[in-house]
Amino acid sequence: MTTIPARVRYGDATAGLLFLTPWLLGMLLLTIGPMLASLYLSFTDYDLFDTPEWVGLDNYRRMFDDPRYLQSVTVTTAYVALAVPLKLAAALGVALLLNRPRLGQGLYRSAFYAPSLIGASVSLSLVWKSIFSDDAVVDRGLAAIGLDTGGWVGRPEFSLPMLVLLAAWQFGGPMVIFLAGLKQIPGELYEAAAVDGAGPWRRFRAVTLPMLSPVLFFNLLLEIIGAFQVFTSAFVIATGAAGGGGPAGSTLLYTVYLYGRGFVDFRMGYASAMAWMLVLGVGLVTALLFRTSRMWVHYAGDRA
Amino acid sequence: MASTKRFRAALAVLLLAGRLTACGGGDDAGGDVTLRFSWWGNADRAALMQQSIDLFQAANPTITVTPSFQEFEAYWQKMATETAGGNAPDVLQMDFAYLREYADRNVLLDLKKTDVRVDDLIPAFQGVGEVDGALYGVPTGGNTWCMFYNPALLAAAGVEEPAAGITWDQYHALVDTVSKKGAGRTYGGSNYRSVIYSFESYLLQRGGTLYTEDGALGFTEQQLIDYWTVGKQYVDDGRFIPSEKVAQIEPASPITKDLIATEFRWDNFFARYAAETEAELKIGPVPVTAAGGPTGQYLKPAMLLSASARTDHPDEAAKLISFLINDPQVGRIFGSNRGIPATNAQREAAVLEGPALAIAEYEKAIAPLLQKAPPAPPKGAGTVEAAFLRIADEISYGRSSVPDAVDTFFTEAEDTLAG
Repeated sequence: MTTIPARVRYGDATAGLLFLTPWLLGMLLLTIGPMLASLYLSFTDYDLFDTPEWVGLDNYRRMFDDPRYLQSVTVTTAYVALAVPLKLAAALGVALLLNRPRLGQGLYRSAFYAPSLIGASVSLSLVWKSIFSDDAVVDRGLAAIGLDTGGWVGRPEFSLPMLVLLAAWQFGGPMVIFLAGLKQIPGELYEAAAVDGAGPWRRFRAVTLPMLSPVLFFNLLLEIIGAFQVFTSAFVIATGAAGGGGPAGSTLLYTVYLYGRGFVDFRMGYASAMAWMLVLGVGLVTALLFRTSRMWVHYAGDRA
Repeated sequence: MASTKRFRAALAVLLLAGRLTACGGGDDAGGDVTLRFSWWGNADRAALMQQSIDLFQAANPTITVTPSFQEFEAYWQKMATETAGGNAPDVLQMDFAYLREYADRNVLLDLKKTDVRVDDLIPAFQGVGEVDGALYGVPTGGNTWCMFYNPALLAAAGVEEPAAGITWDQYHALVDTVSKKGAGRTYGGSNYRSVIYSFESYLLQRGGTLYTEDGALGFTEQQLIDYWTVGKQYVDDGRFIPSEKVAQIEPASPITKDLIATEFRWDNFFARYAAETEAELKIGPVPVTAAGGPTGQYLKPAMLLSASARTDHPDEAAKLISFLINDPQVGRIFGSNRGIPATNAQREAAVLEGPALAIAEYEKAIAPLLQKAPPAPPKGAGTVEAAFLRIADEISYGRSSVPDAVDTFFTEAEDTLAG
């Protein structure tokens, strides 16, 4: 018989919980606690000094009259819409190239993964800023092929694309996951497709993409959530004129504005409300993705 | 079962360790007083501060001072959260722009209730740091708004160095000449009209003020429209360096990169710029509307020392503040690191050289021209200052028309100042 004596099962559960205690405590004290506190603060007028004063939905209402808030939503949406597809396309492209066995494969994989490891660092953002300045690598390179853009850092129309490129360059994370997904696709499917006369593009569309769709979905979800929360690059590169988001508000990402409201303007209640709107927004996007996923994500063993 | 036992033992050890660390630290050893003292600055200032603290502790053996410091930005973030947590340091460095912000929130000690020594402050600093009759901060040094210029760039353009009494029209002509000679590489100046302190000196020259006594905006929308319209015009006609060039080298200033010939700043920046550039910069006059007119300059406290309202040791805190602003040895140690010293005793004791000497001589020369300092800026002044710069920048970039920008500024500023 396979039934386990109740006493032992109980002991296992206790031990399991005990082992989880540090994590559970951390979760409760460092994540759930502050989150609940910020939920409360989002309904108050709180300047960090005086006791919070209950104002109901006032903070939430004010957001829709705040041009800088709306600006930050626009900028962030544009950023997510540009950075996520670009990053995933790069990740998938490189993963396809690296999927074939060849000499030095491990080296290439590590080399492509490396930028993701140092991506969020301040020093990297500074390097990025300097290579996109007047007369630096990018400016000269583009000028050499006849595109005279000047430096990108100080120009409102180029500053956001510059941040998008920085994000796209760090495609190592999703790339590794794509690689693992590609390894799971049975070779017979490709062989069968080839026998049926499918060319490389057809094999990619009819075999690789559907078989990879769960991984694609996973990556898409993670990257979208991550992109909504991007902070360091914009904060470091585009300090702009006082309070971040420069030049001319072109890089005023949601988190940058949130930080400024909380820690520069001391409007902590408003900043908390902004944080919860972000949670709602990201939650909504995630829910939508899950909804639509039924139409394009295929799990092995599905009837479809 | 054995493993459970071992696990329980481990857990007990963990809990015990938690207890032990929780009750460590804190208690003063018999009768002695420990003061926590925070300031902003860099390692250089920290070394000077430590020497001064050592002197203070030698003179007051029962008082121990625990220092801590950050960069300016980080300092204010930490100060805000510490104050919010009821855990502010006993003595803290204070900025003029934040004095009211903190004073109005009842987190600063009224130093008049202690026997802090402020009688030796130079006349221009008497009463500075007072809000509604209470003394919330004592200045350690001061600076004034002024012009920096690069004589080499002016000479290359064949222009004379600006002399005292230069009018705004003459100054703008000078900038124009230099920019034309610079041919898109160097410029006569930057758009000083996007900096709120330039606007303040413009208002002071006309008998106005930035803020009224009760902390509202002290000027009209039309005044700001006039001011920004001219700035925009000079950006467009290439007199001022384009904003995108300035943005790229931030946080450095274009004058330290030999990109512009003149810039308006607080004179204490002179020491910093001297360290950042090879060029020989000089300090010059603030232009006036007509020869002999007021310059709108005043002596602003570079930084103040305040005490927390919740300190358990107000008398010791006052003692430390008095020592730091009055003691001649401390004056000698700091030189001009905290601005040109605020008390007569420390001014005499400080040995100044290089850029510090240039600043001191400049301040001495313009002393007769100085106006009385305006009252401490209202709560939210820091936010208003940032909004001014940001919104003016949008005009320079052509993202906003001047009247729209002024409208935005007034909405934001009034909202901020209202609380």
